Amino acid sequence: MKNIIGHLKSILGLSRTRAGEPLSFKAGFNRFREVLDTNNRALEIITEMGDKLGGDYLFDINYIKRTYSELSSAVFSSIQSFDSLTQNKYPQIHGAFTRIDNQINRLIYDIVSSHSGMVVFYEDITWDMSRDVGGKNAHLAELKNYLKLNVPDAFAITTRAFDEFIKQNGLNEKIEALGKATAINKSMLDTLQDLIINADFPPELDSAIEKAIGKIKVRCGGKCFLAVRSSAEEEDSEFSFAGQFETVLNVPLEGKAVKEAYKSVVASLFSEKAVAYLNRLGYDIRKFKMAVGCMTMVDAASSGVIYSTNPDGDNNTLIINATWGLGKSIVEGQTDADLYMVKKDLSPEIVDIKPGRKEFMIVNLENGGTGKVSAPDEMIGKPCLTTGQAIELTRQAVSIEKHFRKPQDIEWATDRDGRIFILQSRPLTLPSVPSRQGRGEIRGFPSPLEGEVEWDAAILMKNKGIVVQKGIAAGRVFILRHMDELDNFPKGSILVSRYDSSNFVRVMPYVSAIITDMGTPTSHMASLCREFRVPTVVNAGNATEVLKHGQDITVNADDGSVTVYDRVIRELVESSAINHMKMEDVYEFRKKRYVLRYISPLNLIDPLLDDFTPEKCKTMHDILRFTHEKSVTELVDSAKYGSAMLKRHAAVKLDIPIPAGIIMIDIGGGLNITEGSDKAVFEQIISVPLRAIIKGIMHPGVWHSDMVLLKTKDFLSSMMRMSDITMDASDYVGFNVAVVSKEYVNLSLRFGYHFNMLDCYCSENAKNNHIYFRFVGGATDIVKRSRRVELIAAILKEYGFNLKIKGDLIIARLANTRQDEMENILEQLGRLIAYTRQLDAMLHDDSTVEQYARNFLEGRYEL
Amino acid sequence: MDRYRIMVIDDEKIVGDMAKMSLEQEGYIVETFLNAEPALVRLKEEKFDVVVTDLKMKGIDGMEVLRTVKRLYPETRVIMITAFANLDAAIEALRGDVHDFFPKPVKIKELKASIQRALSKQK
Repeated sequence: MKNIIGHLKSILGLSRTRAGEPLSFKAGFNRFREVLDTNNRALEIITEMGDKLGGDYLFDINYIKRTYSELSSAVFSSIQSFDSLTQNKYPQIHGAFTRIDNQINRLIYDIVSSHSGMVVFYEDITWDMSRDVGGKNAHLAELKNYLKLNVPDAFAITTRAFDEFIKQNGLNEKIEALGKATAINKSMLDTLQDLIINADFPPELDSAIEKAIGKIKVRCGGKCFLAVRSSAEEEDSEFSFAGQFETVLNVPLEGKAVKEAYKSVVASLFSEKAVAYLNRLGYDIRKFKMAVGCMTMVDAASSGVIYSTNPDGDNNTLIINATWGLGKSIVEGQTDADLYMVKKDLSPEIVDIKPGRKEFMIVNLENGGTGKVSAPDEMIGKPCLTTGQAIELTRQAVSIEKHFRKPQDIEWATDRDGRIFILQSRPLTLPSVPSRQGRGEIRGFPSPLEGEVEWDAAILMKNKGIVVQKGIAAGRVFILRHMDELDNFPKGSILVSRYDSSNFVRVMPYVSAIITDMGTPTSHMASLCREFRVPTVVNAGNATEVLKHGQDITVNADDGSVTVYDRVIRELVESSAINHMKMEDVYEFRKKRYVLRYISPLNLIDPLLDDFTPEKCKTMHDILRFTHEKSVTELVDSAKYGSAMLKRHAAVKLDIPIPAGIIMIDIGGGLNITEGSDKAVFEQIISVPLRAIIKGIMHPGVWHSDMVLLKTKDFLSSMMRMSDITMDASDYVGFNVAVVSKEYVNLSLRFGYHFNMLDCYCSENAKNNHIYFRFVGGATDIVKRSRRVELIAAILKEYGFNLKIKGDLIIARLANTRQDEMENILEQLGRLIAYTRQLDAMLHDDSTVEQYARNFLEGRYEL
Repeated sequence: MDRYRIMVIDDEKIVGDMAKMSLEQEGYIVETFLNAEPALVRLKEEKFDVVVTDLKMKGIDGMEVLRTVKRLYPETRVIMITAFANLDAAIEALRGDVHDFFPKPVKIKELKASIQRALSKQK
């Protein structure tokens, strides 16, 4: 019955059943080539942009505008050809294109978001909203929604809310004036901060915050508090901003308190240290937008920080700092926390534990806010994590690092029930050697010279403390007793202090080195020191006593060893002073380059996975990948209707010494024959891929013409399966058809009970090339059939195919391969098709699979 | 040894920032300006060995910068960069005693080489 319908269809030429004019195969093939051509043009532009925006060229926004507009129209015209080829089968691709195109235009033309509301809950934050919710919120939402990690219930107050808040209170002008000022003006900052603290909320924002609080209240049963913290546009994505902005902990869940906290976080953007930090990194304060995150507080039993890669440079271990109560004290560098070093294996293993004393802890206060209390005696000096917790933290940290493809600095907490929560994750700035030499100060980095030379200078300190940032620096000691004294810090001096503090950022651009008595390598200050590449040693014990204010010293902080000399050793410093600031450190560069994130990366990798859909396209590259892949599928599908084509095209029989029974239809330049001929010999095949396959089929020894006897059981099972097999491929039955052009072949072969389908484009441009190979059926029982599947899969894998196996159906794909390699693989496929024709009857046990596969790969084809 | 001074004028911040970063790596002292007016004021205060300027800018353009530089310091070399590979502008610029002309995007390596040539000719 099915065959009759198929036959009728083919007579009527209705090879397609979708609405609209059915395309002839030839027209479809031409659309296919258009898709390839436009895709290639687009890919070339993507490559060029990657090159020009890679840091080796001076470029400007006009270049990006101009080039992107070329790219956008190439992708658009590719989609048009694709629509025409597929007869609008994938309308969602338009949505994907528009979404990504808008995203890119927003970046290029600096269009302020209207994407989101004033408040967004983490579960509703999607990957493309990082400009709306800020980097920190976006990262955490990703961990919650994508990695399914335990992130406390939270919402983001967006950058749009920030814009409205600033506008409503008429603060734009003040900020504008601040941006224009040549030096940081403290009184301007103070005024601005006062205005923010006393500002009113735009009604829309006010009600959005109230609503969000209501929602959280319902979800946590009314008994929770919030942590309110900044989430600036780029925060936690490229630069850490560690400790730059205010965080308000344990805020009562009520409108007034949350709004107060919001204001103090926003005001902190205009603190002296934050503005200094932004200036240093080249940000324009006028364009800087701050989103805020409001997250329910964890009633923390313990908290801390993980460095997902050991800053010592050992990639195989990570370190966990842990303390009782809240982790605030660790990030502020004021406690001797526990230190766990854990091996990052599949089954992580604790390598080392250094328990700290932890005499004090920071806890949530009953009515809001936090307080410092003495730790109970029985907890002092005791490690605050169980082995299980340390290992679970390690597992989570490894998955986060893997997800962001960068070492991470992760804040975590455990609650009273021992559950782990992830509170923040940002890129870890690992110590880098060497670095820039700034203006005025003398700062350098270890060189080969060091270690071989004994300096004529007394050693004041040796091997004390933990090296946060390697380097060599010389200068005058400045002992800091109170934070206020930072205002008088002389440029080029060496800062020596009892505690470390993120406030030090104010002097970061011109401090030569930092040494602190206390502190941890995971504090905010430590992150900043690495970012600014300031040679830094923490936890040095009694540096504030050993070193004298005003004394000239040289600090050499190397791998784990620290030496402080009692004079300026210029040779030591100069021997290694190199300017190593990287282009990535230039903010404008990173900002402009950011556009590439929506252009170049490829997220749609495996067409055989479920998420190979237009909805999952995140970049222009993804769209090109999708249209290319689906164009191939479309071509494969439409070529299946070879029987219909035979009615409309002249068919030519392939005349070769092997009885393969192949009929060829030339749709353009595939055969070198005179008009009216009805057969062609091997030499007349111009089609590059068909020629290679036939060469393989004809390879001496692979085509076994002796009938391999089927056992009775095999024969019966084949009889019973016949209808199943033909159901799937009714149009192939009776034909071995090759649709060919110069660079293309679609080949449907039925040998015995095996159905092979091979679709291939093989040209000089590797990007265009693909092989799609399908193998189904078999006359023997299921065990032997599955052995054959195994055998073919083993062989195809050797040639680099991407496989999908379902029962005894194999779908194999290969793309983006050079023509010469393609030809080689096609020839092997030809051999494989011929070789496996009668193979399953031979596969008596599992060991034969391996044996035949090996034989084939070694070129031995006897059965 | 005195370090060479390079001035970069371009109305887009990114060009100055990237140029400054890469040229400072070579040991030059680099000052950047977003438009020509303050740049020319600065030039009157101090001599620069090489001036790299955008051709098309609002207000005073690159040709005007070139003329002023040549009037103040005939030996200072001027390198012109512009957003589009505009042939006419290039010809005019070269006639006006410009040391080199680059269409944007400018390969930083080539700019560095051009600056080195400019400096070696001054010796």
